[in-house]
Amino acid sequence: MSTVQNEFFKKPKKGAVLHAEGGIHKAILDFLRKSLEKKCFDALFIPVKVHDTDSYVWVLLKDKSLLNEANPLPPVISVQGGRALSTLTKHGEMNLQIAAIMRPCEIRAVIELFKLKQVSLNNITLISIDCPGAMPLSDYISNPKEMAKRFNNLFETWEENESLRPICIICHRFSLSSLLPSISRQSASVELEGIDSPASDIHIGLVGGNGEKIFLMPVSSKGEEILEKLEIATEDSLEDWEIKEKELRDKKENKRKKILQELKAKIEGPKKFVAVFDQCINCHNCMRVCPICYCRQCYFDSKTLRLSPEVYLTRAKERKSLRFPLDTLLFHLGRMSHMVLSCVSCGVCEDACPMNIPIAQVFCIVADQVQKSFGYVPGRDRREPPPLRFFQEDEFQEVEMQYKKTISREETQNA
Amino acid sequence: MSKKIGVYICECGPNIRDRINIDEILENLSSIEDIKVVKKYPLLCSNEGKKFLADEIKNEELTHLVIAACSPKEHEITFMNVCEKAGLNPYLFQLVNIREQCAWIISNKEEATRMATKYIRAGINRVLLHKPLQKKELECNPNVLIIGGGIAGIEASLSLASPERKVYLVEKTSVLGGKVRKLSGLLPHQGMDLTFLQKKIKEVENNENIVVLTSSEVENVRGFFGNFEIVIKSNRNDLEQKEIKVGAIIVATGFSLFDPKETPQYGYGTIENVVNALEFEEMIASDKILLKNGKPPKTVALIHCVGRKEKGYCSKVCCLYSLKFAQFLKDKLSDVNVFEFYSDLCLPHKSDQDYFEEVKKKGVNFIKANEIQIKKSNSNINIEYKTITEKKGSLSVDMVVLSPAIIPAENTEKLAKILNIPLDETGFFKEIHEKLDPVSTPIEGIYIAGCASGPKNILESVIQSQAACGKILSCLIPGKKLEPEVRVSEIVEEFCTGCQTCLSVCFYSAISFDEFKGVSVVNEAICRGCGNCVGSCPSGAIRLKHFTYPQLYREVLEALR
Amino acid sequence: MPKVLKIKKGVEEGINDFLKFLLESGKVKGIFTLKKTNENGAVSYSLITHLDELKKAVPLFPLMPVNAGKVLSAFTLLEATKDTVAAVLRPCEIRSFIELVKRFQGSMENFLLISLTCGGVFPLKSAVNGEVKKLLPIYWESIKKGNISSNIRPTCQTCEHFIPYQADMTIAIVEKKNTDKECNIFLNTDKGENFAKEAPGDIVFEEMDTNEITELKNKRKTQKKKLYEELGIEKLEFKTLIKIFSACLSCHACSHACPICYCTLCDFESKIFEYKPSSYNMELNQKGGIRVPPGTLFFHIGRMVHMGVSCVGCGMCSDVCPVNIPVSMIFSMVGDSLQKMFEYLPGKDIEESIPFGTFKTEEFAEIGE
Repeated sequence: MSTVQNEFFKKPKKGAVLHAEGGIHKAILDFLRKSLEKKCFDALFIPVKVHDTDSYVWVLLKDKSLLNEANPLPPVISVQGGRALSTLTKHGEMNLQIAAIMRPCEIRAVIELFKLKQVSLNNITLISIDCPGAMPLSDYISNPKEMAKRFNNLFETWEENESLRPICIICHRFSLSSLLPSISRQSASVELEGIDSPASDIHIGLVGGNGEKIFLMPVSSKGEEILEKLEIATEDSLEDWEIKEKELRDKKENKRKKILQELKAKIEGPKKFVAVFDQCINCHNCMRVCPICYCRQCYFDSKTLRLSPEVYLTRAKERKSLRFPLDTLLFHLGRMSHMVLSCVSCGVCEDACPMNIPIAQVFCIVADQVQKSFGYVPGRDRREPPPLRFFQEDEFQEVEMQYKKTISREETQNA
Repeated sequence: MSKKIGVYICECGPNIRDRINIDEILENLSSIEDIKVVKKYPLLCSNEGKKFLADEIKNEELTHLVIAACSPKEHEITFMNVCEKAGLNPYLFQLVNIREQCAWIISNKEEATRMATKYIRAGINRVLLHKPLQKKELECNPNVLIIGGGIAGIEASLSLASPERKVYLVEKTSVLGGKVRKLSGLLPHQGMDLTFLQKKIKEVENNENIVVLTSSEVENVRGFFGNFEIVIKSNRNDLEQKEIKVGAIIVATGFSLFDPKETPQYGYGTIENVVNALEFEEMIASDKILLKNGKPPKTVALIHCVGRKEKGYCSKVCCLYSLKFAQFLKDKLSDVNVFEFYSDLCLPHKSDQDYFEEVKKKGVNFIKANEIQIKKSNSNINIEYKTITEKKGSLSVDMVVLSPAIIPAENTEKLAKILNIPLDETGFFKEIHEKLDPVSTPIEGIYIAGCASGPKNILESVIQSQAACGKILSCLIPGKKLEPEVRVSEIVEEFCTGCQTCLSVCFYSAISFDEFKGVSVVNEAICRGCGNCVGSCPSGAIRLKHFTYPQLYREVLEALR
Repeated sequence: MPKVLKIKKGVEEGINDFLKFLLESGKVKGIFTLKKTNENGAVSYSLITHLDELKKAVPLFPLMPVNAGKVLSAFTLLEATKDTVAAVLRPCEIRSFIELVKRFQGSMENFLLISLTCGGVFPLKSAVNGEVKKLLPIYWESIKKGNISSNIRPTCQTCEHFIPYQADMTIAIVEKKNTDKECNIFLNTDKGENFAKEAPGDIVFEEMDTNEITELKNKRKTQKKKLYEELGIEKLEFKTLIKIFSACLSCHACSHACPICYCTLCDFESKIFEYKPSSYNMELNQKGGIRVPPGTLFFHIGRMVHMGVSCVGCGMCSDVCPVNIPVSMIFSMVGDSLQKMFEYLPGKDIEESIPFGTFKTEEFAEIGE
């Protein structure tokens, strides 16, 4: 299956390289403030630090003074951006222009939710930003100042840091490449009037800037219009960013393969796989924070799965003991089969697990493989329909062919 | 309410009796709670058997019925009717298959008995969770939608329309008549003028039981035979929509002509005075057979089979109308030379051979040729060709009339999707069988007539149209009752997040999205209970009546015990 | 004087012997208790039906992976168990189960409820890095000394209801000094007595050591005051609540871990509380900025109102919170005051009906005035 790397759709060739005196965060906030002032948007959707605390929350703001405590790239992902935007737009769009600035995995979650009708993108401009990763939520809470410091150091070197979440260490989709449609999948596109297919509208590149400059580039026609309105010329070469981004992406992709392979070997097979969930308390936190899990009531929480005590006792007798709460594996495997095709590897599930189960990495192993077999990358293309909802006659012929071969063999035997 | 289950095991002649130890099962079952009576009977589907069951239901005051016999495909309906007549809700009944699934496939009697017992227990446990679903009755809608206002559509509408049966005739252009309207006339021996068409169109317009909707197209179709819901859109104003209900649909959308520009060797569109058959018909009809310079032509070439190789089939009617053209030219223009370039001559009807001879006598030249190349040469047109003996030839003419292949009408693909009926490899609508069932489609209630299913002449179109009418008249009788499926799916609103996954997998278009509430809704009249939506909903917000999770679980649990 | 089944073995061994007896004799068809899931300290509640598995039982393990009241409720949600089943659970777990039974979310029929005088449990985080194994000896030491182990859940450190109500049997732990030599099981009910017949051990008459109990209760009361002060919640003001819940992700893990929160679809997760664009518009215009997801504090206050009167202070909510909000301290505090107002103790008496569902003509007259 060809990788997204080689088939970019309208990859931006030029952009605006802005100097970031006062740091990257300030440069980005200045850009956002200016765009609010010039009425490119009426409101911003951005993480803001709660006054006098170390927590970040998503805020939809009109009041520019709130920007003082805003941070487009906080050290942690508290609420997944996709989930937050879904809460905001699930029941329709507000009649103002909103710009939402998020990490690539959050943008991809937004796009997946858009395809599942849980997000409305009318009046929303999506701004993506290169992501160095995020810190584990529990580590950050126990020691916010230290974790914030380590996080900020990443912007200069973009070097690996063991303090990062394990899922971020192996993330190769930290930049624009994962937000662009693949040409080879154009035939599977759904007609959407007036909507460009790339995931984000504007991208802010940080890699290769050494913490001194940011690379602002339009991705969709909406993005182009906005930069024009802001009178930001997009004539600069993006080479510095492109080269560094590809270098880092290749490195991380290799690392991902290696680490996931190692993990797979550790957990492969029924016995070892079950052991992964030895400590699972069935709290279902992972499902609740997952942006893709949009069901109002999860099937695995429903009364449908409740049975009489007689049945439970019989089961307990057959196995000599029955673990409660029940259906731990059923829940995880069931959730996997329901959402793994859209899994964007954001890792909020791992952050939320009270028992430190490496659930994001486990799901990644499956997600990578399943998505690859459908040639599908969740969230890169607004028009690419999720595989399970799109019928293609010529698909997985190899599964069919086995059956055909068997039938004809039988027929010839009976002849 | 106390439950009284009656369990009856059918011996099914020797089929079950000889392969399963029924008495053993009777003994094993009698100890189960809630079972009022367990009996065996020689042949339950016989009249005596049915009477026996009815008496049992009444006398034992049964609340639930389990019959262990043959496959539900055979007699589920039979026994459900027995229940109904005896006053027991037919859905509080379960037919357990111990013939095809036990007696007929397990040779060891002990094993077969054991499995049969299991299945019957499973059925008993299941039936206890059944709900007394209520049958629904719909009166069938006798009205008919005819798509296409050409000759086939017009014929059908006149045959079907009556005070008890309304006909909706939908035509995408602004006038009725279709392609026949563009003709100069029929074949000479069939009568030349088209007043017959004008008469028919007048009849249609005056008939108060026919609603003519011109400049309109079918936008959406859902439902089933006797109960279709159609949305018709106006071509003039996108917002104008009309919703109608009919019981049957006839697709009479006619044909299009192959565009000779796809075969540039014929010079259509690039060389002046190269026209296609319909354009020539227009010339005849307006009595102006003239070249672009206003003068009548001296030499005319009529080229058959344009696009035949590309399309892969013969369009049947072109040879005859080319003869018509040749005759016309000879009759109207005094010293015109006419050449007919053909690859085969298709003259199937009883009068055709004679007609051919007649036209030939008028001095029309027939050249059997292929590899035709038409080029411009000065003020003339040069035709280069090869005869069947491989001899090369060349001819200079001043007008060329092409007979292009008959191809499917525009929007055939779109309509096929809307109606859910198949197309064949040539792109025409596919009839069930070319010879034995030429007007039916796999969807009950949707018929095709005329060129919609392939090239044919007016005679055949009319015949097919009448055939489709015949089918409709015999089975869509006003007042006939329909029983839509009761075992349909239902969506629990509170759990629905409006992701519309169920909509994308519903083959029957039975699910719609309520924009205001933001939830999906099942149209119970159209739902066929296939269960696709149930499987597709990740949160389990959709349930299938009579196949709920508790019911299925209970059944399987018992069967595996 | 209460009857006690005295087994001359350490309390852990003794209780295991007793459970073995229950299963072997066929008096119960299964036992709900904590069982080792692996050798690294992972434990979970199990319904054990076979002696082989009973060998892995660790009934007194100081960890609560899930509130057992929730477990028993799930077991008997559709109907009461027809076979007799024993369950070993902590006082707050029994109390939650009873609160659920009052709401028809389970049935107590045919259960043999065995509890213990509770020294508390470790927070789930200790189980994560295998710390629990190291902390176990310190835990038992503190208990023997009658002290509060500093590593247990804050709600356990401050719990005053560590003597179980409604248990058929109570294993004496915190008020006994000789738990390494003796296992004393108090037989509180006729049922308890019946099931103890022919059990290994002697039936004696003994009283619970009320002095020890009172002392421990006082220590915990003091600890409560201390912890409330540390958290700054001794006077629970609105602005305190805002600050404490500022990190809240609205993940609702607390409500799903809570045994009392039994609703199939929580009101706060249903469509009713999903903001429509008009609401967002209005709030945005009023305040210039709006937090998304909205209604963070509203959810918590709403939940307090819905379940506070039955809160047993088990502490599950704090343990599952991804951002370490001390949910249980606040909820049990509010719960306590609500319960005092109605003079209601959740889970103490199955006959005592839930205040919100009971109408008394003479009540809170002062508000009416």
